[in-house]
Amino acid sequence: MSYDVTTDRLPTFAIFDFKGTRKTLEKWTKFTLPDAPNRFIVNTGVILCHIGPDHWLLRAPLDREETLESQLKPTNAPADISIVRISDTQTFFSITGPNAAEVISIGCPMDLHETVFPQNSVSFSEFFTVKALIMRIPLGFEVAVEQSYANMIADYLDRATA
Amino acid sequence: MINIPCPFCGPRNESEFSFGGPVKPDRPDPNSVTDEQWVEYLTTVPNPLGAVQERWWHVRGCGTWLTIWRDTRTHDIVKGPNDA
Repeated sequence: MSYDVTTDRLPTFAIFDFKGTRKTLEKWTKFTLPDAPNRFIVNTGVILCHIGPDHWLLRAPLDREETLESQLKPTNAPADISIVRISDTQTFFSITGPNAAEVISIGCPMDLHETVFPQNSVSFSEFFTVKALIMRIPLGFEVAVEQSYANMIADYLDRATA
Repeated sequence: MINIPCPFCGPRNESEFSFGGPVKPDRPDPNSVTDEQWVEYLTTVPNPLGAVQERWWHVRGCGTWLTIWRDTRTHDIVKGPNDA
């Protein structure tokens, strides 16, 4: 019996890593950052994820990377914040379908129940022993891993869902 | 397997964490303690039978360093002597 899921390797996204105090980051980036831990918000087409204390990720379509880079001005940012473009370091997979949570649970120890990890949740955890960013999306999940592990994770997903 | 309470993420599986070792007493001034006390501080790792205070790093999570008390007999995370 196989799982009723669809897995896809997603195209590269523009990703920026924000570190620093919320007040300074919001003032510099002009983005409203999510307040609740491990939650994301969608703001003018970009996804902003609160992934750690004083730590956020911005994700947007790759064609907005240059625009965002010129808007965020990482090299001119105040000394007490850090903005780093990390677009090519992460590979995203989408796992969607009625059994998406079961497939994620094979490789991720996190509690994925709706009451614990509801819509708009995002968190770093592990996926098949690799550090991974897990996001809940309406039809399932998205998982991001370091790009050097992407082929391995794709292989594991193929085997898990065969 | 231990379920470790991360202050940012909530309870998470031990496999997301890296053990940071037991919390050691404050570093004494080497000039004001005996050689025996200094060697004791440098070389003896706290290893009680019972509650021990430990540091853990949520390395595959939010990156927070946290301190817990763990009972070495049961692996239960317990309240420390000074916890309310």
